[in-house]
Amino acid sequence: MSKFTIEQKTHTTAEVFYLNGFLDAHTAPQLESAIAGAISEGKHKIVVNFNDLEYISSAGLGVFMVFIEEVRAEGGDIKLTAMKPKVFTVFDLLGFPMLFDITETEDEALTKFTA
Amino acid sequence: MHPERLAAIGDTTELERIRQFVEVKARSFGFSEQGIHKIALAVDEACSNLIRHSYQSDTSREFYIDIAEQDPKAFVIEISDTGTAFDPLTVPAPNLREYAAQHRKGGFGVHIIRMVMDAVEYLPADPAHPFNRLKLVKHLS
Repeated sequence: MSKFTIEQKTHTTAEVFYLNGFLDAHTAPQLESAIAGAISEGKHKIVVNFNDLEYISSAGLGVFMVFIEEVRAEGGDIKLTAMKPKVFTVFDLLGFPMLFDITETEDEALTKFTA
Repeated sequence: MHPERLAAIGDTTELERIRQFVEVKARSFGFSEQGIHKIALAVDEACSNLIRHSYQSDTSREFYIDIAEQDPKAFVIEISDTGTAFDPLTVPAPNLREYAAQHRKGGFGVHIIRMVMDAVEYLPADPAHPFNRLKLVKHLS
């Protein structure tokens, strides 16, 4: 079974999710319910840190598609950060950099929320 | 058991095992890490669609992943299933902005498969072949 864990931290400017392991069609529902939980608590400024994510398939990318319009409508965003090249490749293949704010570092993503 | 065949069931827990099987085969075929990743991703996408949409996560149903090595320069993966025939090549390329507006989370897999593989062929089941077959080809450059 694919190993996947999420750690969530409340930062002063945003809710940060740290992904670890393998995000595929099996583990994507876990991420979907974690983000849905934050949004239901009124947290619309979200940063997803991919530093420890080894693998992503389109099922993982789909999770961000579900929520992006909703959080932006509330003045928030989902900013994606610290991707390994292997993970970024998948986002890039589908043209996600056109729709999503993808930053090199978490600090950069957090700063953008305060700007 | 045929060493180049992996049998899997209609359960997404199978995806990791499927990727590992394909990665080992692609590595011994001579692909770079980047090539191995692309091949495993394409097979993952095809199998995810099969498990969730065609088999509807029915764990009593089986499908097969075969590695054919007739050509030393072409790595050929064949995925055989007994679901309702569905030709992924008929799926249009996704429009990201429209998908986001519709909160759509699916429909990207087929696009990925077409982008990372060199050739994709779909053969629906017929009286002579009881399995639908999706053939994915990647050339060793």
